[in-house]
Amino acid sequence: MKLIYVSANERPYTDGCGILTGSIHPEDNNKLVAVTTMSPAGCPHVNGFKVDNWKQNLRVIYQCFVWSGSAETRKRKAKSCICHMCGAHLNRLHSCLYCVFFACFAKKHIHEHAKSKRHNLAIDLLYGGIYCFMCQDYIYDKDMEQIAKEEQRKAWKMQGEKYSTWEPTKRELELLRHNPKRRRITSNCTIGLRGLINLGNTCFMNCIVQALTHTPLLRDFFLSDRHKCEMQSNSCLVCEMSQLFQEFYSGHRSPHIPFRLLHLVWTHARHLAGYEQQDAHEFLIAALDVLHRHCKDDNGKKANNPNHCNCIIDQIFTGGLQSDVTCQVCHGVSTTIDPFWDISLDLPGSSTPFWPLSPGGDGSALNGESHTTGATTLTDCLRRFTRPEHLGSSAKIKCSGCHSYQESTKQLTMKKLPIVACFHLKRFEHSAKLRRKITTYVSFPLELDMTPFMASSKESRMNGQYQQTVDPFNNDNKYSLFAVVNHQGTLESGHYTTFIRQHKDQWFKCDDAIITKASIKDVLDSEGYLLFYHKQFLEYE
Amino acid sequence: MSKDSQMRAAINQKLIEMGERERLKELLRAKLVECGWKDQLKAQCKDVIKEKGLEHVTVEDLVTEVTPKGRALVPDSVKKELLQRIRAFLAQHATL
Repeated sequence: MKLIYVSANERPYTDGCGILTGSIHPEDNNKLVAVTTMSPAGCPHVNGFKVDNWKQNLRVIYQCFVWSGSAETRKRKAKSCICHMCGAHLNRLHSCLYCVFFACFAKKHIHEHAKSKRHNLAIDLLYGGIYCFMCQDYIYDKDMEQIAKEEQRKAWKMQGEKYSTWEPTKRELELLRHNPKRRRITSNCTIGLRGLINLGNTCFMNCIVQALTHTPLLRDFFLSDRHKCEMQSNSCLVCEMSQLFQEFYSGHRSPHIPFRLLHLVWTHARHLAGYEQQDAHEFLIAALDVLHRHCKDDNGKKANNPNHCNCIIDQIFTGGLQSDVTCQVCHGVSTTIDPFWDISLDLPGSSTPFWPLSPGGDGSALNGESHTTGATTLTDCLRRFTRPEHLGSSAKIKCSGCHSYQESTKQLTMKKLPIVACFHLKRFEHSAKLRRKITTYVSFPLELDMTPFMASSKESRMNGQYQQTVDPFNNDNKYSLFAVVNHQGTLESGHYTTFIRQHKDQWFKCDDAIITKASIKDVLDSEGYLLFYHKQFLEYE
Repeated sequence: MSKDSQMRAAINQKLIEMGERERLKELLRAKLVECGWKDQLKAQCKDVIKEKGLEHVTVEDLVTEVTPKGRALVPDSVKKELLQRIRAFLAQHATL
């Protein structure tokens, strides 16, 4: 039996004046509810209205005065929608349904009209609700509601797609009726938390699985059954992930044994096969790669072009990294943009020099980091990552402006940020001479603003706007931490664990089969190897 | 009508004509959901309905009881942003 989740926040309301149809349960907001459609309460007084060409007349009223889509209707609405008694345009303007008369509701002007003319129906010009003066309340006649909804959708289409509340389709209602089991999500429930048995040094895989199963958008994708498999064999990794999500959110508390997942990973990423310890970061990239390859575009189109895939993996994890190479002679800039799934950051203490940066520069104050303790911060690493780097006289680039090899500087910035940003702290050094782990503590924040590292910020800096005043209304670049993978031990023998965020401020430590509650301090004090951040605000495209 | 309300009406007309009113409504809707205002109001409405009883409550009851609280609960940042947008719009269409 498949579990299907319906969030209580998406209940189908009629598009009236916000009144709820159906019964109210004294529940908390997060309850998953059974969805039923109730027949809206009509009233007998509309029968006087429903004569002759009433449907068309009603449509015209909606199109002209309630939801005006075209410029022409908008102009007419702007001019004519004022109270015929007092001239005001505020005060909940209503239109009589029997004659051309607009009047305030709040000042009772429309009530006077209704009484004197015995026109007992009026329509709210703001929300389209139908008011019956006999019943003294808004009424919801099925036929009229239908017309209202259609006209609203039409107007929205003209203005571009707009937000509309979810209403279940016939098929979805059927599914919900056949699967009556519901799960209540309270703020302290542990659904989604499940341990993973270690199958022999497989903690490198377990830690990543924990991070992925707690990636909100990925979870929503799989729990709403969006993957339609087109692979003939049983070796689709996306199907296996789907199964994994079902296991994690089933409510079972015993640890799950991911043997099928391990087998599929060995099949598709042979370099990770075998029972020795592997690198969790390598596993993450390999897993994303296989998932991406196995996902056809789940909207129906095939992913022909690997650079323009629209699969869920690309939608969530793929960002764009801009590389600008500036010729030191002619100052011409050559720009390329490459896709990325993660950002690998060098650390101080490695053999690549970590340029000393002046404290309190771009970004640190923004992310609430202090340099008093002298600890390196994630922001420091990002600043270093996005600094202009002189490529040196031994690495001259052929400049298309100068037509010869010149010295140049190179700078990396973020062109496009992914919804989930993964930062990889390069703790494992594998140079020719040394193989060691860098244990330098790097402090990372709960909330991260990526604005200073964006290509657009760099452009404003170059245009002379040095003081980057942060726009408090621009939420595009704000991220929240939701998972941290840590490595304990040495290069030769080590162990991976993950901290994941369950509800807003609840963190848990996943150590193979053992899940324990963790404090925010535990998380932020940890060494950090892979840091997973999620965009705070998502816009509809 | 006073000069003030005349001005208000003229601005309102311009906003509707240019479709800006709809855009501002969309923006406001998104902001009010984001900051949790919608959820707060939903809770208020539920309280009123429980108080009056589902069979007897009218939209008027909800409007009378919830409107003042709703107005008070709108965060200053949201008001500020909308004001900014309206100012910017007026600056652009300065023929008023």
